[in-house]
Amino acid sequence: MKLAILLPLILASQAFAASEARIAAAKAPAILRWGGDAAGGAPYIFQDPKDPSRTIGFEVDVAELLAAELGMKAQFVQNQWDSLIPGLKRGDYDAVINGLEITDDRKAEVEFSDPYYLTYEALTVPKKSYDISALADLKGKKAGTLKGALAERLLAGTGGVEVVGYDTQTMLYDDLARGRIDAVLMDHPAAVYYGIGSQLKNLPGQFGRIAYGVAIRKGDAKLLAKVNAAIAKLIKNGKLREVYERWGIWNPVMAATFVDDHPKDRASPDAYKAYLEARGLHLGWRAKLDVYEGYLPLLAKGAVTTVELSLISMAIAIALGLLLALMRLYGAWPVQALATVYVEFIRGSPLLIQLFFIFYGLPAVGIKLEPFAAAVLGLALNYGAYEAEVYRAGIQAIPHAQMEAAFALGMTRWQALRFIIIPQALRVVLPPTTNDFIALLKDSSLVSVITMVELTRVYGQLAAMSYDYMGLGILTALMYVLIGLPFVRLSRWAEARLTVSLRRTDA
Amino acid sequence: MSAASRIVERFVDRERPVSLNYPMTAPTTLSAKGISKTFRGQQVLKGVDFEAASGELIVIVGRSGCGKSTLLRCLNGLEVFEAGAITFGDFSLLRIPGKPQGDYQEQARRLRSNFGMVFQSFNLFPHLDLLGNLVAAPMIVKGLSRKEAEAIAFPLLEKVGLAGHAKHYPIQMSGGQQQRAAIARALAMSPKVMLYDEPTSALDPWLVDEVFEVMRKLDKEGMTQIVVTHETRFTREVARKIVFMEEGKVVETGDSKQIFGDPKDPRTAQYMSRFMA
Repeated sequence: MKLAILLPLILASQAFAASEARIAAAKAPAILRWGGDAAGGAPYIFQDPKDPSRTIGFEVDVAELLAAELGMKAQFVQNQWDSLIPGLKRGDYDAVINGLEITDDRKAEVEFSDPYYLTYEALTVPKKSYDISALADLKGKKAGTLKGALAERLLAGTGGVEVVGYDTQTMLYDDLARGRIDAVLMDHPAAVYYGIGSQLKNLPGQFGRIAYGVAIRKGDAKLLAKVNAAIAKLIKNGKLREVYERWGIWNPVMAATFVDDHPKDRASPDAYKAYLEARGLHLGWRAKLDVYEGYLPLLAKGAVTTVELSLISMAIAIALGLLLALMRLYGAWPVQALATVYVEFIRGSPLLIQLFFIFYGLPAVGIKLEPFAAAVLGLALNYGAYEAEVYRAGIQAIPHAQMEAAFALGMTRWQALRFIIIPQALRVVLPPTTNDFIALLKDSSLVSVITMVELTRVYGQLAAMSYDYMGLGILTALMYVLIGLPFVRLSRWAEARLTVSLRRTDA
Repeated sequence: MSAASRIVERFVDRERPVSLNYPMTAPTTLSAKGISKTFRGQQVLKGVDFEAASGELIVIVGRSGCGKSTLLRCLNGLEVFEAGAITFGDFSLLRIPGKPQGDYQEQARRLRSNFGMVFQSFNLFPHLDLLGNLVAAPMIVKGLSRKEAEAIAFPLLEKVGLAGHAKHYPIQMSGGQQQRAAIARALAMSPKVMLYDEPTSALDPWLVDEVFEVMRKLDKEGMTQIVVTHETRFTREVARKIVFMEEGKVVETGDSKQIFGDPKDPRTAQYMSRFMA
């Protein structure tokens, strides 16, 4: 009897579930683009030491859980940590999941979800340091932390502490091990992953309260509500705790807040163990070489981006520079003034600010460029100003008598420039232009601030993961030199050809 | 008609075959009237009148700074003058103070298409070999093919005695060779008048004659030539007409015999006595 009533219900619910699944399969799952900085370090978001082309970390797991809960597919978008919020406002991604503490000043800029992770600040000191156990003990000492983190304010509030701000966790803990600073105050997960090894120890004290939230654009209320619902569900079913336990960063604060005091672990800290193993303190030089070999494809990919970026930017910079030089030399006065103002303004202001302006500033007036286009534009506009001055000097180095001789033969100014003056100036400007290209090649590393992943960025990510700033640094520097060399040779060859007419002996 | 051939059409004067035969069929007189020119507040030409008939060889003499080089440069529009008119055939370059002038550069370019100019410091194009120097303007300005331009260039190299130097760069040649090359380069544009601005002043004394030799040759062929020079012997032997200038004005014009032997103006007499010393 009971079965007779229940059976149709079960069948109906199954049919319903099946049709829902069919609908979901019919349209490809929507993409949840989320931003983070893979150079930040473990355990947040970092390159898998075993397979550097993979990005892993507890926040990658959280993002994937959230996306699955929303019926979406998570897609990671790399950006510099300082720029995560501007990038979110630009619309490069729809959420930020990367250790963003929920603070009042950030809340003025973006919406925050309910916390997905809670923790506190922890102190790390050298193993042989015995005189520090609380924040007050740091008086008269040097303490390091990440720039802009809550810990920085905590340290500043302690009084008498010399605060040193760092960009990455690896450098921060490296400097502590080297004795450049006396203590590190950082979010507990970072301490778990970096305050280890033969030289460092973590202190048991818990300072302050930190809550990480998912940052979402203001006005995106629908996504915010969905994310909050998903977080609540993931807390309730223990899936979040599972992630944190796998990474070894579950703590009593969360147990209290999540009302999850289940005494037994839900997962073993596999991810943490894998990390410790891969830190590779025990690796011999042979094994290290193998590790480098694993990095090469990633570095090569970064190098290709660097070369593409530099070549396209330089080509545009050369054309722009020539135009500006001609404007300054032969234009009517308003044209001259325009070119002069451009050159002085662009040359006189930092490339970094120009890149930020193009990428994060222009969207305010409705011009939103892809990272690559913005990077090319920034580099080309900047180097165009430098090239303009090089070409102006090059053209002026050609005696005016050459222009007169061309005029006397009936040439127009443009014909004289094109066939007589510029070919001669070419020889003069070739070495400085090559110089500028090499400089541009290296300056292209600046575009990592606008989410481009090029050679230097790849280096930063790999080094943050592997701790190997030296070996990777040498490798990356070598790659820059190798990229530049063919262009230097090409320039020498062209110069030699162009100077044929200057040799007294028979050509 | 393609765009390219239309451009060529515009540059190439189909009416006038490219030829090396002087004089041209219709003798044309070059005349300048009331040319005034000021450099940084100093008037260097004070209403100069000047005339050159077809086939004449005229030497302009005078002290340094008398305005003779400036006059020569005004004649083909390399200098912008404030007032006056230069007429050649049916074309005039006219400047009336206070009146809109139109595109001076374009008018000057049309005027100087009739003239060849030779500079004191040769001004060959150092990045081109000798042949390249000769074919550049005919190809760029007239739109001739390389072959057509070379057909003009080779006989001219022969004429100035540089047939064996076609592939040499300017820096590989002596000053005299360079100046002869510069004359050939100007001739490649088939000018009706040749202007020389102190063509031998930058040369070692023993290289002077080879340049004058070419100019004599052109004179015999009937080319109109206007020369600014300090060389007495050349002036005396070759000049049909001598123009003496002082302080921005033409003081006296006459034939060689009269100017050297019987100058009318005392200033001419004083200058010529020094000139011959």
